[in-house]
Amino acid sequence: MKFSIPKINQTKLANQSLLVISRILRAIFLLGMTYVLLYPVLFLASNAFSDYMDKLDPTVIWIPKHPTLKNFILADQVIGFASSIWKTLTMMVPSVLIQVVVSLFVGYGFARFKFKERELLFSFLIFTIIVPVQTIIIPLYVHFRFFNFWGLGNFLALHTGEPLTFNLLNTNWPFYILSAFGVGIRSGLYIFMARQFFRGMPVELEEAAWVDGCGPFRTFFTIMVPNVGSIVIVITLFSIVWHWNDYFLSVMFFVEEYPLTVAVTVLQDRLSVLTQNIRPEDMALAQSAVLEAACFVVIVPLLILYIFAQRYFTESITRTGIVG
Amino acid sequence: MYGRIFIAPWVFGFIVYFALPLFTAVYYTLTKIYIDQEGLHFEWVGLQNYLYAFLQDPDFTRNLVESILNIVYQVPIIVFFSLFIASILKNDFRGRTLMRAIFFLPVIISSGVVISVLKENVLNTFSSESTFLFQAEGLNAILVRAGLNVALVKAIVSTISQIFDLTWKSGVQILLLLSALHAIPDSMYEAASIEGATGWEKFWKITFPLISPSFMLSIIYSIIDYFTDYSNKVMRMIVTTANQGKFEYSTTISITYFVAVMIIILIVNALLSRRTFYMV
Repeated sequence: MKFSIPKINQTKLANQSLLVISRILRAIFLLGMTYVLLYPVLFLASNAFSDYMDKLDPTVIWIPKHPTLKNFILADQVIGFASSIWKTLTMMVPSVLIQVVVSLFVGYGFARFKFKERELLFSFLIFTIIVPVQTIIIPLYVHFRFFNFWGLGNFLALHTGEPLTFNLLNTNWPFYILSAFGVGIRSGLYIFMARQFFRGMPVELEEAAWVDGCGPFRTFFTIMVPNVGSIVIVITLFSIVWHWNDYFLSVMFFVEEYPLTVAVTVLQDRLSVLTQNIRPEDMALAQSAVLEAACFVVIVPLLILYIFAQRYFTESITRTGIVG
Repeated sequence: MYGRIFIAPWVFGFIVYFALPLFTAVYYTLTKIYIDQEGLHFEWVGLQNYLYAFLQDPDFTRNLVESILNIVYQVPIIVFFSLFIASILKNDFRGRTLMRAIFFLPVIISSGVVISVLKENVLNTFSSESTFLFQAEGLNAILVRAGLNVALVKAIVSTISQIFDLTWKSGVQILLLLSALHAIPDSMYEAASIEGATGWEKFWKITFPLISPSFMLSIIYSIIDYFTDYSNKVMRMIVTTANQGKFEYSTTISITYFVAVMIIILIVNALLSRRTFYMV
């Protein structure tokens, strides 16, 4: 008895010091990771606002000595920020809204109703998440280049003699149409998330509505939709982010006026035009500064959105759980 | 019955914008396409596009093999790294919200264009600013002199020099694993503690089996993510050949590539499905 008491204290002490050490190690590790993750963003911001001369000056580390908007003005000459951001927004906002509504609607169908082919169709849904759009992009391109209202145009041709087709390329319609049918940018994932969410909701509410004579559609719109708060926010945020960042579909469906992300790649090809009056040995630096200014414009709206909605990104995803 | 009405929009979309295009894409690969004012004209050529891709195109097979090898060694690193980060972020500590916000930053800035610019411009200065010790060459020399196997050193060094890539590619996976970790009821750990399980046992007997579906999902996500990455060489080929108007060849590449990746996913699935545990 006499000796056992200090022994316990000793192990306690050892445990405590182990805990402290592990905390310190964790703090160091996390600090390091923070550096790796934040460095590019800070670097981008610092370079975008500084004259390229500052990069040659070893006394300048983060804060530019000659803060300037020159890089943005130069990038604007090629990209036309106002028009390309407008292009992105006109493509994004309706598409996101459609996508959210359709995902909830279809997700509810998958979650609450039993029918024979449900499991099969659901496995197809998972399949659409896995198959990247790159595989089917060319047929889609052709479809929207000679858009005939799913064959209705050809049907009309029986009467008028000429098939009715529209060129939907360079318009926003391909994005709206794809979103409306639940096959837009990552729509499958949102349907999946909505389904998981609806499955987690208590059935009693709906049963009560059914007993009171509410039809399934009225139940959905008056009972379920007002209660979906967090999942709608999560889906909307992800949808905004992926529409904003979309490159592949945009580069395929837009020919002349590009949305922002595609415009940046156009800028990449035309950098040499912008920096003609600069000494050749500084050219690379000046060019990368312009490019970084453009990238900064791409990420800033998302960063602002993220700062305000961060809680929803991180917390409600853990609550609603996108995992089966 | 009503369920069918609810999912009808998606079923239509699936057939018109997924299944049909997929079959059309396969058909395209067996033809030669001519474009004029009236539309597209197809000439049946059989397997010629595939033969060209595998036997004559100097870049395709090399790029394909390179991408697949990269998948094989990058995906495990990404997934285990994500698991590591997720289990750190799961614990309660001061500043956790801030750390989560920082680690999910890559999810926000996932635009391939920005990432590739970041990689080119930032990474150059990133490595030159740090000291000799943290540079790939410096580390390489030190480890080789320390008497380690050269192949091992190469693997270590290439992993370290890709740490930027890895952290920036694991945002979504961290999210998936974190939500799975949160779904494990605390009572299980309490019961295990009472039975005298160590942390190591708890991880392998409770945590890992319960998150294995998400683990599986993040492996598949990583593979797909790597597959569709903007900087991926095969991806670049698909875009450039499509822009050159060689639609049939572009589709041939993407179908072949996709089939190859599907095979990898099926192999992974076959290897891991017996170890995946679903708690229903």
